[in-house]
Amino acid sequence: MKWTLLVTVAVLALILSVALGPAAVPLGELLRSDIVWNLRAPRALLAFLVGGSLGVAGAGLQALVRNPLADPFLLGLSGGAGLGAVLAIALHLPGPWALPIAAFIGALAALGLVYRLGLIGGASLDPRILLLGGVAIGAFTAAITTAIVSLADAAELRNAFLWLWGGLSGASWDSVLLVALYAPIPLVVLMAASRPLDLLALGEESATYLGADVEGVKRRVYLAASLLTAAAVAVSGVIGFVGLVVPHIARLTWGHRHRSLLPAAFLGGGALLAFADTLARTVVAPRELPVGVVTALIGVPVFALLLRRWTIA
Amino acid sequence: MRRCLFALLIFSVGCRPSGRPAVGPSQRIVSLLPSFTELLFAIGAGDRVVGRTQWCDYPPAALSIPSVGDGLPPNIEAVAARKPDLVVLYNAGPNVTAAKQLERIGIRTVLLDLDRLEDLGPAARTLGRLTGLEQRAESLAAALDSLSLDRPRPPSTATLAFIVWDNPPIIIGHGSYLDQLATQAGARNVFDDVAAPSAQVSLETIVARDPQWIAVLSDSAVPPAFAKRREWRAVRAVREGHFLLLPGSLFGRPGPRSGDAIRQLRAKLAR
Repeated sequence: MKWTLLVTVAVLALILSVALGPAAVPLGELLRSDIVWNLRAPRALLAFLVGGSLGVAGAGLQALVRNPLADPFLLGLSGGAGLGAVLAIALHLPGPWALPIAAFIGALAALGLVYRLGLIGGASLDPRILLLGGVAIGAFTAAITTAIVSLADAAELRNAFLWLWGGLSGASWDSVLLVALYAPIPLVVLMAASRPLDLLALGEESATYLGADVEGVKRRVYLAASLLTAAAVAVSGVIGFVGLVVPHIARLTWGHRHRSLLPAAFLGGGALLAFADTLARTVVAPRELPVGVVTALIGVPVFALLLRRWTIA
Repeated sequence: MRRCLFALLIFSVGCRPSGRPAVGPSQRIVSLLPSFTELLFAIGAGDRVVGRTQWCDYPPAALSIPSVGDGLPPNIEAVAARKPDLVVLYNAGPNVTAAKQLERIGIRTVLLDLDRLEDLGPAARTLGRLTGLEQRAESLAAALDSLSLDRPRPPSTATLAFIVWDNPPIIIGHGSYLDQLATQAGARNVFDDVAAPSAQVSLETIVARDPQWIAVLSDSAVPPAFAKRREWRAVRAVREGHFLLLPGSLFGRPGPRSGDAIRQLRAKLAR
């Protein structure tokens, strides 16, 4: 029943985001319209894939660091991506894909630094240091970014922030294909870690006694979740709240078993972002709202409502 | 960030000359906006400008004046170090604070609006009064006033969209100087129903409105990088390579050269 409802909501969100938009396309021409085929459909799919990836990445990271505040962007990736984007503009890197590629590399560099910091106590990855390291690297890269932007001459550098918080305007079949080929790998890695992630909730020691390869799982989950997030930031910028709120909503409804939690977070995140992007494109048309604003405006009240029901029950 | 993004496009007075009793014509002026620097040179006060922003690149003589930084917000100490007897600022939030600080250390300031064509005349007259060059300022102001007159024009045949940024797409709306430039040059901005000076829109809106030209402020001779992106190829003008590449120094700011900008834009549209 829960699953039927979730799948229905997800399909509905996808249909709505293809059918609705600021440009008037008659229903009868939906399937033949250039706007629908080349702009709306890839954007809807990209929104779904990115939202789903952020949902799963958030769920995985929350389990890994055993902290309900964990968000895919908390671990320094947005700072690294921003630095990459600003450098791409400052160095005048040519080509239509310069910005996304530079942001992706920046996110990977931040990921590497945070990971290295997480190992600082020895061979064991310490989730607490991972969190602290993420915040520290995020602040550090943001400081460098701001320094470059305020010292450099190019006025367009300031636009790098627009890009970083940009949302899904850059969607095309190219980016959909890229994400569709890339995302399944970390997604499968995370799904395969479902059982050990359940055990990890009992504490690392207990999990080890119960036969989980705790070290390996922590590393795989951290790397997979971060690689998902890095791809998301490269194609759509930093979209907040999806990776924080969706896993919690899924957990309230599906419980703590990751075998069902992760797929629910994927469908829920995808539906939320596709729906939020539809609203962002249409409610103030011909203008458009930043999609992160809409995800927060929808996600937080829904979350508060569920939280209330859950604590009363 | 929006503020910075359009810093080069915007300007307005409510013209709030400081309230102290009139003193003699200013001899040492710091100009904190490229448009003001151009206006001061145009009324013959260029040799009295002792400080400018790093963006003030016209006329070429302005480049030999010491820069006091980017002016966003003004570096008070760098401005004061030029020992000015008048500082000209664009009338906007951080500048209002800066003007108060300068006044507090005894430097006269004037905050001028300069967002649209019709702000040019009043700004020129105010600067003329403050420099004692009223006559030259008045003849310049009269010429600038005529630019924004609603004289009967042939109906605009060309349509265009100003793209300020590509991801997310940010366009220029009705309330802006660039929209006025387009109208005066005989083109219609397809986003003239957007009241704001600039706004984020969806790419599909640009496709649906189908402008003949995509106008970009750019000093480069080649189309912007987004022209090669697949999603932008859905826009007909992008597919057909119909770009208007407008150098920022001439087109990005209202000033004494606004008439030139209108003429050049008209010529580019006719080509």
